[in-house]
Amino acid sequence: MSGEFVFATAQYESGDWDSAPLLPANIIDTIARYTEITVAPTGVVVALSDVRMLRYPLLYLTGHLPVRFSDAERANVRRFVERGGLLFVDDHNHDVDGIFHKTATEEIARTVGPLAELPNDHPLYSAFFKFDGPPTTSHELNGWGDNLVHKHLLASMRGNRIGVLYSNKDYSSEWNYHPDTKRFMSVDNTRFAVNLIVYALTA
Amino acid sequence: MRSRRRRLEIGCRIAAFAVLGWLIGTSLMPAAERSLERATSRDIASRLAAWTRLPPAVALHADLSTAPDPYVADWLGALRHAGHAVAWGGSPPAVAIAADALNDPAGGVLIDVAAPSGAEVTVRDAASAIDSVRVAALGATMTASIAVDSIVAESRGQRFSAPVPEPARVRAALVVGQAGWEGKFVARALEERGWTVMARFGVAPRVEVTQGSVASLDTSRFSVVIAIDSTIDLLGAATLERFVRQGGGLVLAGAAGASRAAASLAPGRFGARTRPSALPPDTIGLGATGFYPVRALEPNASVLDQRAGGVSVAARRVGAGRVIQVGYDDSWRWRMAGGPDAEAAHRAWWSRVAGGVAYVPVGRLAAEDGYGAAAPVAHLVERIGPARATVQRAGSRGVDSRILMAIIMILLLTEWGSRRLRGLA
Repeated sequence: MSGEFVFATAQYESGDWDSAPLLPANIIDTIARYTEITVAPTGVVVALSDVRMLRYPLLYLTGHLPVRFSDAERANVRRFVERGGLLFVDDHNHDVDGIFHKTATEEIARTVGPLAELPNDHPLYSAFFKFDGPPTTSHELNGWGDNLVHKHLLASMRGNRIGVLYSNKDYSSEWNYHPDTKRFMSVDNTRFAVNLIVYALTA
Repeated sequence: MRSRRRRLEIGCRIAAFAVLGWLIGTSLMPAAERSLERATSRDIASRLAAWTRLPPAVALHADLSTAPDPYVADWLGALRHAGHAVAWGGSPPAVAIAADALNDPAGGVLIDVAAPSGAEVTVRDAASAIDSVRVAALGATMTASIAVDSIVAESRGQRFSAPVPEPARVRAALVVGQAGWEGKFVARALEERGWTVMARFGVAPRVEVTQGSVASLDTSRFSVVIAIDSTIDLLGAATLERFVRQGGGLVLAGAAGASRAAASLAPGRFGARTRPSALPPDTIGLGATGFYPVRALEPNASVLDQRAGGVSVAARRVGAGRVIQVGYDDSWRWRMAGGPDAEAAHRAWWSRVAGGVAYVPVGRLAAEDGYGAAAPVAHLVERIGPARATVQRAGSRGVDSRILMAIIMILLLTEWGSRRLRGLA
């Protein structure tokens, strides 16, 4: 179907882009569970160096290793954001001193512009479920990373919309499980993903 | 007592001398030479003041290679009403121009030009040249993003102009659909173009993401409703029909052609999706992945765009409003994955679609500036009638001097013959 939402994971040349392999299926399950959005049953992986990445206006990018875009990747990401795409980048290390954070934020600034704190009353946090800010993850205080609870997400804006959304929260670890596991949770920790996707599809 | 014959001879002599005297008098009086005044395109404007002082018996004729400025035609019309016989001849090019504001918040003027086929027409405004075009089939259309004062066209020495219209004051556009890329990017394209966009996107049962207040649908708030899919049914058939009949615009995009609420308004029925046999390489254009053809067109529907798979865009009037059905359901791919200008093209295309049906309240009519007529020949004909080869003078036809000389001769011969018959010298 031409209008369905396809969850797309960004593949880049420099790092471990596939560090959260269970996340796409889990988020697709969440979307189907809470919304009427027509969603493709499986996600896709698209190389940032390939212009076909422009077919997926919401891209998810994660990893632990350094992020250095090639010229083709940088040009495509810039074009993607300028045309209205939303790149969601999550630091799988949840470490502000980590190599992913340092290199990814540097690369984003070079490619599309600097990141700034996203206010916690931004429409992203009320696009579907109501949040007071980015939901805390169990991984923020697990002894790994920087042991900080990050109060804000970072964003590079294009006008009044988000072009790149950057997270130190490690949602990649938080959401990287089989969808069936949700039945053991008192509160579904993937609900913020619904906000992210609804925001991307409507804002 | 004089005889009857004597009186006849005296009468003939008096009459002969009277006619001779009149002939001499008319040959000496300059007014006789001014019974017909002529002018050409080059000097007619400068002659008008002098013509105005002439007696009404003097006929006026203009030989025109180009139609004069409106004030000249108006002046000639006034002279005609004052009793002059006024006529014109020649074949100035029949041209016309019209300028209308585009229904687009970005502004712009749509310029229509009519001229003889093959004529080169240059168009300019008070600031600079706008465009030039060679007319192919009696007409040409061009757009200007901005125009100042008057739009003046010139072809074969003929100047004609139209005032720049007031900008169209479009109201908000309402985008309705299920949350998805098409709705998002249509709304964004219109916003980027300057439209005030309100949106209503369905996300889950009884959950909608809205932008702006979409409580009541009427032309005091909205110029156009754009339906991305059949969720437009939630607005209700009666509400939609009332809006369109009031003058509002409705765009049925993609699967919205299957809407039940809009079925009575749609230009046609919704066909099965047509896909191109080969997808283009990764510079995607409009409709690259297919479209829903518009089938079974209503009798008053017009086809606006057609592809190999059928009609892709059609439109019709309903009451005071207009409805356009667009078969394309994934124009966002064009914007995202198209060529270098795709984003701007996508924006302009959707603005044109919305503007094509949008309700625009009638604004103040632009004032004529007297710079030129929109249709100079038509204006001239309206003032003094169609072209004529020669002027016709009402009630003052001249008499041929040869006839008068013959009359004199007859009178003198009659007198002389009578005298000879009486035996006088």
